[in-house]
Amino acid sequence: MDTLMLLGGGFAAALTPENLLWAFVGVVLGTAVGVLPGLGSAMAVALLLPVTFKLDPTGAFIMFTAVYYGGLFGDSTTSILMNTPGNSSAIATAIEGHKMAKRGKASQALATSAIGAFIGAVVSTAVVAFFSGVIIDIALRFGPAEYFALAVFAFVATSAVVAQSMVRGLIALTLGLGIAMVGIDAQSGAARFTLGVPSLFEGIGIVTVTVGLLALGEVLHVASRIHRQGPDAQPIRTGGTLWLGRGDLRRAVPAWLRGLGFGLPFGTIPAGGSEIPTFLAYGTERKLSQLRARRGKRPDEFGKGAIEGVAAPEAAASATAGTAMGALLGLGLPTSATAAIMLAAFQQYGMQPGPLLFERNADLVWALLASLFIGSVMLLILNLPFAPLWAKLLLIPKRYLYAGITGFAVLGVYASSYAITDLWLLILLGLLGFMMRRYAIPVAPVLIAVILGPLAETELRRGLAIGQGDVGVMFTGPITLGIYTVILLAVGIVVVARVRSARRATASTAPESTPTG
Amino acid sequence: MNRLRESAPDAPVGGATDHTSHSWWTGRSEIFVGLLVIGVGLFLTSQTLAMHVPDTSTGPGPQLFPGLVSGLMVVLGGLLVFQVVRTPAAPAEEQAQEQEQTDETASAGVVGELVEGQEPRRTATHSDWRTVGLVLASVVAFAVLLQPLGWLLSGALLFFGVSWAFGGRRPLFEAAVALVYSAVVQLAFVAGLGLNLPSGILGGVL
Repeated sequence: MDTLMLLGGGFAAALTPENLLWAFVGVVLGTAVGVLPGLGSAMAVALLLPVTFKLDPTGAFIMFTAVYYGGLFGDSTTSILMNTPGNSSAIATAIEGHKMAKRGKASQALATSAIGAFIGAVVSTAVVAFFSGVIIDIALRFGPAEYFALAVFAFVATSAVVAQSMVRGLIALTLGLGIAMVGIDAQSGAARFTLGVPSLFEGIGIVTVTVGLLALGEVLHVASRIHRQGPDAQPIRTGGTLWLGRGDLRRAVPAWLRGLGFGLPFGTIPAGGSEIPTFLAYGTERKLSQLRARRGKRPDEFGKGAIEGVAAPEAAASATAGTAMGALLGLGLPTSATAAIMLAAFQQYGMQPGPLLFERNADLVWALLASLFIGSVMLLILNLPFAPLWAKLLLIPKRYLYAGITGFAVLGVYASSYAITDLWLLILLGLLGFMMRRYAIPVAPVLIAVILGPLAETELRRGLAIGQGDVGVMFTGPITLGIYTVILLAVGIVVVARVRSARRATASTAPESTPTG
Repeated sequence: MNRLRESAPDAPVGGATDHTSHSWWTGRSEIFVGLLVIGVGLFLTSQTLAMHVPDTSTGPGPQLFPGLVSGLMVVLGGLLVFQVVRTPAAPAEEQAQEQEQTDETASAGVVGELVEGQEPRRTATHSDWRTVGLVLASVVAFAVLLQPLGWLLSGALLFFGVSWAFGGRRPLFEAAVALVYSAVVQLAFVAGLGLNLPSGILGGVL
């Protein structure tokens, strides 16, 4: 077993005191930003990126991935205890989880979600470790046309399919592509959109873009409504045993496994994160519960705090993290905002994720995969007994929290280039992020576009140059055609679904205008 | 991240302003976003056309991709304006009522429902421009003062400004917290991680 040997070597590297420390720092930070509403792992990694530039890459990536996993563990705590999802990936958990807590089963709900997240993380990491060979084999067959199709797939999936409004998603996409094009074009040497400003010749730094859109944009958005919010919700007190009874387990285990079934494949699809699989998992459990009730087996508990409604979405959410790492490392394809920033981090360290990464930087890759197992165990220990403690993070006064984030934002941007002009860009991008939040324009497509845009353009031009101007070369080969077919199908399904729901909406509320879509 | 706040069921809905003053613009301020996108698209188009291309390049040059993207921007901005004119965002209160209904009926479902059903209508939010302005002013002041004053003072000033904007009301205490913050950052990142932050006027002292 080649893989086991490689993974063994990875464990040896990951178990050094230094790397264990970075993993621990990562899981603590990740859980913290997961617990705090409005903050996410994408923002945390973006803020860490510049200040960790001096670390060795293995330690830095162990910390980044630990933050990513930690975010998916921590986000359910406040969902359950206060009905305030820490992240969009925990909205589905909040629906049944908070009702469980209200029934006095808060401890069981927290345990179900922590164990579910653990199962999702470990199984998905194992899948990536043992199928890395297959991923690489596929990736090695990719040429310019295939990579361009993959980038288009990522663009369309994040902006048009997942976003609530296709127009707003596509606007975000074009904004990102525009930002990515600023600077000297590497192939021809032409200066693009630089307005003659020398500091723009190298383009707009990825740290500036992510920190501006995610951190400063969020601070401004919260500032615009902080004085209108009512008093904060109080967490429900937990008590009693943490352990799940046999009856609970018998219901939770199949739900965890079904959640995995949704999370694993969705991690590899650029759908901007783990929201969709959590809702699919939740919806499936609800339908199954209704079915069971109809057959007279067990009354339908959904709406009153069903344990399946917590187990399945949590397993699905963290299962996406593992396979997202697989797609990132093996294909160089970022499938979530956090993965997109990690891709930028790889580029900052002079590495290009993709099939060659497993050859050139095998030590790093396997140490990283091994540390994900270690990090998952740490997260289980941190979250299972201490979840109520984490909820106490919400007691941090908002003004210090956001002042601290602003400070880190300017610090990170300045430290990444030591140029004051980047601070002015940060302010502009922060305003852009604020505007996008205010008008519900999604931010993830911008990040995906900024990072994949240059790749898409290079591959398009390379492909066209090979074909000597013949556009047909971009549409040859089974992989390329397969990817475009999937894109067309997905867009078709979404358009049909939206037209239908719009029609239903007009039929039910005749005088009101239809939702945009 | 956006959806989170919109659909947190217990989230209080702010802004019980009088809705007697409905003008045509209520819920339609997003038109400016569309116009901005069109403007950026046109600007990028003009920049693309005026681009100086070194004539060594073969095959598709550096203007192809920018041309495609800026053209798309103009079209999309137009579509957004059209959409907003046709269906303005719902006032915040209406949304709250709708939210309660959807929580019970359509809180989850198949992809189609998920894509459209979770957030039935956009809300017209009110923005507290005073707070936003204070935060922005703090960041601008930081950008201006970082070089001359150094991180320790300008970082503390930024922290103070933001925490003041967010509702801090004890000047001395907030200032102390801000100084502790910038000092800890200085220690951790300059001494610990080797970042090179400007020390400014305190350069001789530190």
